[in-house]
Amino acid sequence: MSILTVTGLLKAYKDMTAVRGVDFSLSEGKCIALIGPNGAGKTTILRILAGLLKQTDGDVTFSGKEANADIREFIGYLPQYPVFPSWMTAREFLLFSGEIASLPKEEAARRAEDLAEQVGIKDALDKRISDFSGGMKQRLGIAQAIIHSPELLLLDEPVSSLDPIGRRDVLTLLERLKKEMTILFSTHILNDAEEVCDELLLLHQGEIMEAGSMEALRQKYQTSVIELEFQENPEQYLEKLKSLPGIMDCKLERQIIKIPAADIAEARKCIFQTATEENWPIIGFNLNRASLEDLFMKAVKQ
Amino acid sequence: MRQWQTLVKKELIASFRDKKWIWVPLVLILLAVMDPVSNYYLPQILESVGGLPDGAVFEMPEVTATDAIGMSMGQLSSLGVLIFVLISMGTIAGERKSGVAELILVKPISYTTYIMSKWTGLLALVLVSYVISMLFAWYYIGLLYAFIPAGDFIFLLFFYGLWFILVATLSIFYNTVFNSPGLVAFGTIATIIVLSVITSLFGQKLNYSPSNLSNHALNYLQTGKIQGALIGSAVTTIIISALLLVWSIYIFQTKEHAS
Repeated sequence: MSILTVTGLLKAYKDMTAVRGVDFSLSEGKCIALIGPNGAGKTTILRILAGLLKQTDGDVTFSGKEANADIREFIGYLPQYPVFPSWMTAREFLLFSGEIASLPKEEAARRAEDLAEQVGIKDALDKRISDFSGGMKQRLGIAQAIIHSPELLLLDEPVSSLDPIGRRDVLTLLERLKKEMTILFSTHILNDAEEVCDELLLLHQGEIMEAGSMEALRQKYQTSVIELEFQENPEQYLEKLKSLPGIMDCKLERQIIKIPAADIAEARKCIFQTATEENWPIIGFNLNRASLEDLFMKAVKQ
Repeated sequence: MRQWQTLVKKELIASFRDKKWIWVPLVLILLAVMDPVSNYYLPQILESVGGLPDGAVFEMPEVTATDAIGMSMGQLSSLGVLIFVLISMGTIAGERKSGVAELILVKPISYTTYIMSKWTGLLALVLVSYVISMLFAWYYIGLLYAFIPAGDFIFLLFFYGLWFILVATLSIFYNTVFNSPGLVAFGTIATIIVLSVITSLFGQKLNYSPSNLSNHALNYLQTGKIQGALIGSAVTTIIISALLLVWSIYIFQTKEHAS
């Protein structure tokens, strides 16, 4: 069940095209990462979904709504560099955000308290936002984005500017929010995506290169590497390995033989069979799964 | 309606914490009171700086209360307008430039509500400052020259006030057109200057121009007669302000809200 469907989304400016006709849909209740290098068009896509920019062409359809309807009431949005009215206190701003999102006053006040507790700024609730640190601003940003309990939360690079502790806190928070709403967040840091997201959208130069669940993508681009370590100089085994049926290629790197394999099960069977028959002095067998970074590089290079 | 209230409240608190509610009325009072008072004390001032050379004949023109309030209005129309442009040039343009607007406009509020709240918030500050400064002027002129009848004064206050509603609306309009506060100020001031130059060039044909509001209102004070031209320029001013406001909302709706 998809909560949002995007078809043929195009955003062209006078001198450049930021988004070149992308199609994707977001499954309800999932955490989806929008990954791509700087300038790939991540922010543009998020801003179009949030209604801040108008697409040149294409449709954004929220489940149960007409195409390109005003869906702001179902959406929470945190820009990459949120700027708050710094003369307000955090509580005032949360109340303000809640009230302009049509929450009754008491409800807004209650949500403000709740969310401040959830994101960990309860003690600073009555401080001026101008005194907030970067990490606290980011937490306040998340709190204001979800004050009206949106169904879809859009976050633009929510952790990129944070220190390791702040990063960890925000990721844990996302993990928790995942249970209540669909989350789409952009990042260029692949580890962050790998950690919390269920699905990926790989974006490169305004086009979606790949989309799907983490597992599906792994399988598609899986050329995991088997690493073999020997007690003695492994050079003599290189030729033998190359001649095995399930193995296309292998190379020696720092006394370790690396064997890229498309079908790990098959390759492993061959290696073990031969090794047992010929009694190879193997002391290490390691399976290196391709990291998200490898996947990304591969998808982009295609 | 409730969203509009929330947004207006935010505008008012913002200008309050900025101390705008203190310095804007103060500066306007100063502008409005300065000329009538210094004019009244002109003989004493001349005396204290050495007086006139022997034999020089200097006839002081007879200044009436109406002339005096005209001086106050002259100051408000020039420097007062400048102050109003200064305080309003960033109300939307600045909020968009800084990025604060991005957080507000993703919330489900209509763009009409947003513009209307900006307009209301600005108008409240402008009109309150204007009324206070005029009251001070009226009081001091009453002490030094003669008291203008309260009824006539309120009449004047109303018609001349329309001019400031137009100024504020013009600034809101340019706030939606331009993204830079500097350009907003330039556009607003340039428009006001062009309007008054055209009005004085084609005075006869453009008798209903908003720029003539203060002249017609003063004319009422002098003659005690309500002239068609006063009503005419009042109606023109109201219509132009309303059109500008609708146009601003239209521009804002078709505009992108992030760069």
